[in-house]
Amino acid sequence: MALLEIHNLKKSFEKQEILHGIDLIVDRGDVIAVIGPSGSGKTTLLRCLNFLEHADEGQMVFDGSAHDLHHIHGKEIAAIRKRTGFVFQNYNLFANKTALENVTEGLIIGRGMDKDKAVAIAREALAKVGLADKEASRPSQLSGGQQQRVAIARAIATSPDVIYFDEPTSALDPELIGEVLDVMRALAEDGMTMIVVTHEMGFAKNVSNRVIFMEDGSIVTAKESKEFFEHPEDERIQTFLSNIDRKEA
Amino acid sequence: MNDRLFELLVDSFTKILIPGLTMTIPLTIIAFSLALVIAMVVAMIQFAQVPVLKEIARLYIWIVRGTPLLVQLYVVFFGLPNLGIMIDPFPCAVLVFSLNEGAYCAETIRGALEAVPKGQMEAGLCVGMNYFQIMRRIVIPQALRTAFPPLSNSLIGMVKDTSLAANITVTEMFMTTQRIVARTYEPLALYIEVALIYLIFCTVLTKLQSYGEARLNRLVGVKTTR
Ligand SMILES: Nc1ncnc2c1ncn2[C@@H]1O[C@H](COP(=O)(O)OP(=O)(O)O)[C@@H](O)[C@H]1O
Ligand SMILES: [Mg+2]
Repeated sequence: MALLEIHNLKKSFEKQEILHGIDLIVDRGDVIAVIGPSGSGKTTLLRCLNFLEHADEGQMVFDGSAHDLHHIHGKEIAAIRKRTGFVFQNYNLFANKTALENVTEGLIIGRGMDKDKAVAIAREALAKVGLADKEASRPSQLSGGQQQRVAIARAIATSPDVIYFDEPTSALDPELIGEVLDVMRALAEDGMTMIVVTHEMGFAKNVSNRVIFMEDGSIVTAKESKEFFEHPEDERIQTFLSNIDRKEA
Repeated sequence: MNDRLFELLVDSFTKILIPGLTMTIPLTIIAFSLALVIAMVVAMIQFAQVPVLKEIARLYIWIVRGTPLLVQLYVVFFGLPNLGIMIDPFPCAVLVFSLNEGAYCAETIRGALEAVPKGQMEAGLCVGMNYFQIMRRIVIPQALRTAFPPLSNSLIGMVKDTSLAANITVTEMFMTTQRIVARTYEPLALYIEVALIYLIFCTVLTKLQSYGEARLNRLVGVKTTR
């Protein structure tokens, strides 16, 4: 059984339809790279999956239980969110909390876990992203790459079934991208289910097992990564890939 | 300066300072505390877009900010008795000052709440916290850090505005000074004296503000970037 199924997800902003009926199936352990030109609806799709945007139409089957994406109750949303993680492009660490508190907050406050246990889990998560020594730092005292790694620790600490990443390295200086990608690769190797919106073609090619190419609010292609990069038969995909190559050259 | 004037100033210093300590300061502290409570509620109603209540909040702010404080004092103290509502001078001053300041502080706090990046709320939702938990633990602490300096300004402003309470027979520092002037005919020296006492009060508050800001910085962390 798939972990997550999305059927016919539609979303409009101010009467303009941005997502035209997205279908998506995610198996446990999948690492799905979502790529496509800017404005194609990748962020909106991820945000709909975690109900930061309210979809106009569509169904979600999350671990066997079905939900109508439009007529969904707050309780169902809260329950699904507790089983997912979200990593934002601009980190969104709690500015008034230390790195450790950023990670424990969802455990202690969100899940009512007792403090000692939460702190132990949080320390482990921070160690996993290589920031055991930064637990007392505030976000403002950390580099972008460190902040994003704390954000990843925050997301993994709650042992989610799936983590959504929205361009996790796009706001970073080039020399800091690697440290974040390394952490993500290690997560993938641990078997974490991940949906990653990214412009890092190396990550899409080497870490993800599937690639979804979006354009204008629709999924143009969904393929095995290897197949996607070796035979990008669609002309739009070829143009997109060659544009990215040019930018990186 | 001749001896008579010097003696008058020394003598009146305590006479003015005492109502400062027993009227001006309590009036300021009580009214400002109430104002903060009102402001917090009114700001939250607007921030959370609570239907109907948010319209009432706008109306309240519109009326208070659009009319002079002195007129508000007169309406409540001299006007309401026409409707059979009589309030003693001191509670009347507390009522009007807190309602008045509450409206201004509500705008300050609302602005500070809105200045907290939306991503803070979204990140909280994504780690499984609910709206109220996120407001209490993440958004409000950051907003209060932003609002602290302008709120301190309002407090300092209020210390001085309490002198208007003299108009509704509250015998605070300024009224006391006026009475001494009426007896002694030394307006220049005495009004400068009371001005200096206000200045001392406000200087103390300014010092407390710097101390408070430093503490808050440690407690809440430095302001959100972006
Ligand atoms: N909150 C919003 N209000 C109005 N339009 C929006 C909003 N968010 C996104 N859009 C529009 O939806 C489209 C898709 O945006 P987005 O999902 O951010 O694309 P991507 O992440 O692929 O760059 C864009 O045209 C964008 O302008
Ligand atoms: Mg985007």
